[in-house]
Amino acid sequence: MVHVDIAAERLFSIGPLTVTNSMIGGLLASVLLLSAALWFGRRASLVPSRATSVLELPIEFLADIVRGTGGTRWRRFAPLVFGIFLFLLVANWLSLLPGVGTIGYAETGADGNRFIVPFVRAAAADLNLTLGLAIVSFVSFVGFGIWANGVRGYLRELLIAEPAYMTPLLTPIHLISELSRLISLSMRLFGNVFAGEVLLATMLALTTATLFLLPLAFVVPGIFFGLELLFGLVQALVFALLSMTYITLAIAEERQHSGNDHSGEAPATAAASAEHGSA
Amino acid sequence: MDLHTLAAGLAMGLGGIGPGIGLGIGFSKAMEAIGRNPEASGTLFVPYILGLALTEAIGIYALVVSLIILFATK
Repeated sequence: MVHVDIAAERLFSIGPLTVTNSMIGGLLASVLLLSAALWFGRRASLVPSRATSVLELPIEFLADIVRGTGGTRWRRFAPLVFGIFLFLLVANWLSLLPGVGTIGYAETGADGNRFIVPFVRAAAADLNLTLGLAIVSFVSFVGFGIWANGVRGYLRELLIAEPAYMTPLLTPIHLISELSRLISLSMRLFGNVFAGEVLLATMLALTTATLFLLPLAFVVPGIFFGLELLFGLVQALVFALLSMTYITLAIAEERQHSGNDHSGEAPATAAASAEHGSA
Repeated sequence: MDLHTLAAGLAMGLGGIGPGIGLGIGFSKAMEAIGRNPEASGTLFVPYILGLALTEAIGIYALVVSLIILFATK
């Protein structure tokens, strides 16, 4: 039987702060990203070296998407989207390295079974991290909405529906849908990464018994390992793209009331009102 | 072997039906659109990924519920 713990295991405490093994995973990913940024930032030149151009591939891929769908002010929130994407990508792929989730100390559970408490656990296989990231995303899209529309414009957009008599019906739905973004963002990432870990462990446990007859124990988990590489990329992309879409929506709400109390950029407003007129 | 196991299996199995149908519809429509207009595959990519992610989230909720039933309520 595979030992599965839905919460991250506690390793040690520094004062009131409990350090869990998924915090170690998140810290490793951050340290890796920061040191890569320092290393390559110092060597930045107009003609990229081979290693730099490989590292620029994911950035260029995402930059094309953000430029294409982020609206006119994509430069403002592009760093946040890149940051979320790169952190989650590194954290997800780091959790697939051998040793993560397998090297640890032995402990005896309440039912007498012995299991391993790993030193490093996938960072996103802990609801605390994914909920924290979702809160960052939530605060940023509310903040960008206020920044683009002003406090009054934002509150009006949030609380008053388009035909005013529909307000009592539509406003609760609107509020719930805003808040449910928090839950769906965090649960999606947590569920995918955690299920990936459990899936790999289960596949390995299922095929270990065949080790002396067929090399299934090498083939079957390998297939799912490749699948997990893909899922790690897709989930990082989905989290970043959804954050970007929410921010873009919050900024673009201005278009419906263009020229009321906030003067946006002139070409953008003209294009938006033309779009609004044709819609 | 108790009712927890059955409940977790039912939660995941029944919860997988809807997202499965939804993902199939979304994927087939995207393929249809790319088949009709292959140049649109670039612009289709982001809405396609987002739509699949939103659909798949329902299945993930079922998964989280069944994992909680299996491992966190004993």
